[in-house]
This record gives sequence, C-alpha cells and structure tokens, in this order.
Amino acid sequence: MKISTAIAGAAGVVGIAGLLLYSGRASASSSPPGGAPPLGGDTPPPGGDTPPPVGELAPLPTAADVSGNLTKWGETPTDLRPLFVLMEETSKIAGSARIFAVIASRESKFDVAAHNGDGEHEAAERAASRRAYDNNKGRNPALRHGEAAADFGSGGLFGALAPYFLWTGVLELKSKAPLLNAPPELMFQPRAAAFAACVYLQRLLAHYRIDDHADIKAGWASPSLLTGDRSAKTYLDVRARFLADAQALGVDLRDPTTIPIKLSASAWPGVSAVFSKLVGALPQELG
Amino acid sequence: MTADLTCYGDLTPLHGVVGDFDLRSPMDVHTWYHDQWRSIADPLGFTQAHEAELSRVSASSIDVNTRIRASNTAGINAFARALRDRDDGVTAAHARVQEGVLRQLLVDGQTSGQLWRVTADPMTVTAGACYPDADGQLSRAFYPDPSPGYFGDGWRGPPPPAESACGWTTPLTLHLGTFPWVYSTRLESSPAALRWTHSTLQPAIVGMTALAHLLEPAGNLRQDASQVAAIYQHFRAQTEPLILRLPQWQVGRAQAGTLYSRAGRLHVHQGSTQIAGLMGPRGWISAPAYNYCVTRFAAFFALRRAILRALPAFPELRQLAASSPDPCLHAQLKEARLAV
Repeated sequence: MKISTAIAGAAGVVGIAGLLLYSGRASASSSPPGGAPPLGGDTPPPGGDTPPPVGELAPLPTAADVSGNLTKWGETPTDLRPLFVLMEETSKIAGSARIFAVIASRESKFDVAAHNGDGEHEAAERAASRRAYDNNKGRNPALRHGEAAADFGSGGLFGALAPYFLWTGVLELKSKAPLLNAPPELMFQPRAAAFAACVYLQRLLAHYRIDDHADIKAGWASPSLLTGDRSAKTYLDVRARFLADAQALGVDLRDPTTIPIKLSASAWPGVSAVFSKLVGALPQELG
Repeated sequence: MTADLTCYGDLTPLHGVVGDFDLRSPMDVHTWYHDQWRSIADPLGFTQAHEAELSRVSASSIDVNTRIRASNTAGINAFARALRDRDDGVTAAHARVQEGVLRQLLVDGQTSGQLWRVTADPMTVTAGACYPDADGQLSRAFYPDPSPGYFGDGWRGPPPPAESACGWTTPLTLHLGTFPWVYSTRLESSPAALRWTHSTLQPAIVGMTALAHLLEPAGNLRQDASQVAAIYQHFRAQTEPLILRLPQWQVGRAQAGTLYSRAGRLHVHQGSTQIAGLMGPRGWISAPAYNYCVTRFAAFFALRRAILRALPAFPELRQLAASSPDPCLHAQLKEARLAV
C-alpha cells in the first residue's frame, strides 16, 4: 500500500466538520500497468469465504439515473460518470461533477476501496485519523465505531479521513447525523463516499474564500490552507497538482458549458435531502 | 432448423453472456438490438446519445429488417454524435489516410467474409497506410500489431513485397469485430480506435460501421464464422486461466471495489471496471476490454443461432447461407434440407 502524503494537520478542521482529505493517491486494489499490482495476479480462488460486507447500499447509478451530460469527461471512467453527475444534481452545485472526478483521480485513482491506513508503512494515516478522533470526540456526537475509525486512516473514492467521514452532517443535524452508527468501511461504498464529499464541498463553498476551482482542492486538503498564507508552498503545490490532474484526466476546467467559472452552493438542499437522494436509507443495523 | 454451432468448437462459455432471441419476433429483435447497442454504448460513453437517437426511431415499423437497420443506424449516429464532443485524436492528414484505408478494408472484408479480422498488405491500401506528420515525415497510420496477443499468435509475415515509405514490415491487421479494441496487443481500458477522430474526418465511424455490419443478419452470414471462432478460442485460451483465479460474485457476499467473475464477465462490485483488469502472459487486458470482446463474440454467435433458427422464414438469408463458403453452414442447411 502506498502512503499518501498528509499535507495538513487536523487543526482547523473542526470548524468545517465533515472530512479531512489527503492529497496523495490512496492505494488502489486494481490498476493498469504502471500502477499497483493488478487484480487477477494474486486474487483468492473462487469460493473464497469472505465475510459478508457491512452496510451494502444501492449500486452505482447509471446513465438512466441522471440527466446531466456524460460526454466531455476526458478519461474519467464511464461507469463512474453517472455517480459524479448524480452528486452534482443532488447537491445542486452546478459544475461540481467534473471537479469531483478530478479530486477522485488523485485521492483514489477511482478505486472505491482505496484505503490508506491498512498498510505497514501507513502509520501517518492512522495517526492522523487517531488525532482527528481524539481532538474532536469531546465536542461531536459519539461514534459507535469511534475507536475503529480512529485507527482506520483514510480512504474511499474521495480520500476521507474516517472520523470526519462518520461525523458528516453533524453541524447541521447534530446527533441525527446519518453515519454516526456506521463503521468506517462504509466509506468504500461509493454512494456513502459521495454523500460525504458533497457535504464537504458545500461547506467549503459556503464558509471559505474560494477564488477558483483549484482553491477547492486546497480546501479539500485542509481548510487551513484557505485561511492561511496563500503564497505558502503547500497551498501552491496543492493547486498545481489539481490543475495537472485535471489536464491529465482530460477535464477542461475552463469550459463554461460544463463548469461555471465559480461554483456556488447557494441552492444546497440540505444534508438530509442529499443523504436521502444519494444513499437512501441505511441498512437497519447501521441506522 | 438446428442452431447447433458445435462445428465451430466449444462455445458454451458464451451462452450465458448474450441471450438468444427469435429473429422473426419484432419485439425480440427490438430488445436484443437495444441490448447489444447498450453493451457497446455503455463502455464507450455514448449511452445518452444512443437513447436520444433511439427516441427518433419510429416505433411503428414492425418489419424486422427495417427495425434492425434502424437500430444499427441509431447506434452509428449516436457514436458519431459522441465523437463530436471528443478532442481530436489524430491530425487531419492522419485521419484522411485512416479513413481511406478503413473504407477499403471494410469493402474487402465484406467481400472476403473476413471482416472480423482484416489483414492487408499496407502497400495495397490508401497511401501505403502512411501519413505525413507535423514534420513532414511519413508515419504509419495504424499500430503495427504483429506480436502474440489475445486475438492470435501474431502476424509476422509475409512482409510487404515492396519497401514501405513509413516502415511497415508486417501486414496491417485490425480486429474490426471488436472495434474499437482493434489491436490484439493493446487491450487497455481506453481503446485505441476511439482516438481515430478529427473535427473534419471521423475514421472511427467507419470502424463502427464495420461492427454494425456484423450485427446485421446478412453481414453475420457473410462473415466466415470459423474466423470468429478461431479468434474467440484463442482469446478464451489466453484469458480463461486468468478468470479462473478470480472469486465468483455472490449476492450479499461481494466486497466493494473487488474484481469478480460474474456471468461470464468481469465485475467490480460497487466500483469501476475501468480501473481493473488482468495481467497475463500476453500482457494487460483491461476489464472493459475483456467484457466488450466477450460480449461481441457472444453476440455474433447468438445472432448466427437466431438466423439459423429463422432461415425457413427468410428466403434471402437462406440464399445467402447457401452461397457461403462456410462448410459448417452448408452442413446445417443440408441437415435442415434447406439447401437452395
């Protein structure tokens, strides 16, 4: 497993709640040549007795589930485009779909089960999630799987840090936030990861100075980058990586037909509505 | 009429991939062709354009031939529409040569019954399959694909009899039956032939036209099925050992992000197949490429079975079958006493 690069500490994250996201690539469980070892090489034989998954959600949306344009996405996987569009249509943040795609390309290489924290050399990720949990458990509602989240690290399509993922929505819903009883592995379900990412983006747009699309990625790494010195190397590096990621993916950030010059969360329908449309009801054991 | 295709070898792994249908039933035809074009459009990213094109197709045409033509036209038009949203993948000069060569290969393949895999001496096609690059140097218009791959053991010879101006030393070989995955050694998730596009010329549309031709009953019958079977058997021999190492997808047991074997295809549970694949002795084969190719093989033989079952109702197809050089087809006609 590769170690993702933590570019900011947990300080300042509580104010925005939700997620702390890291800008390194999470480990991918399958990838083309040049990436991690491909699946098929060392996969378990048929009939492997794997435990049942926790919290199985609805499958990925398809083209029939969305109305947004599924072309002009560069090399974004065609089978994930409907999810990104559904995120945009649900959050009512016009233009966000392709921004989510660019973010996912770096955070997970589009691997829904990307996990930074389960590898021998990923102590930094586990330390970050532990710090996030210990620093915030006193002021946030209790997590049923808090200790597991603290030791989990980060992961999922958008590279969420486990405690913040599970606390998604607490600022708006308090103890009614929907993921408080869920295990951190739920972030591997793309609809759950998408929900958390939408909430996080909304809070960035609503509460921070976002001058352009690259600033979103800076805030994704850590909101403190948006409140600190904007000539700082880390801030500039994150922005540069984001722009390079968009170019590599083939997403044109300057195409006004797909992405407005500035994103706006003014039509945000609320955490509950977004959860309801993206995730639906959680399985009973998690509800 | 029998629809036994054992003459072409063991095709049983394909049976569950694409369902059978009744070519005499307009509703069956409508559903089957819709599913086939969805299986093409989904991985290539033109599902929405396809649905939009389909909405223009008159639902009132009940004649199956009309319906099939309309389905295929809608598919090609949708593909063309989606290509317009893509950036240029090749220069105008490159596209011009590609389009000329592809048109020629399309005609030759239809005539010879070897359209699934077309092989030509580059010196005999448009511009010797060479185009001038930005520096004026001549380059090959297609990837030379002579090495052993997933569709065959390679095509080393014979070398072109005359010296190529752009360095061709092997035949030009394209697998149009699995367009846009046309190269035996390049089965990455983003197919090479999707880049055969330019704002003024779209060679890729000629490739898609070849694919659509194989989806027509007459085009299917004209195609030498033994060529398709041989390529499929090679593909199967190369991929089956890799597939057998994968866990089987099971309801309620699957883990998000894990690659499974599911109903003859590769499946990433709750995730993207486009980042998954298999590494074998013949190199990397992406999951979308595997799924697409196996579906195209399955569709070809499902259509062939449907044609054979329906031959008594279609004299023109019966005549076409009788004039085919395919000995298996003759045996089937003889058995059914339908020889013309």
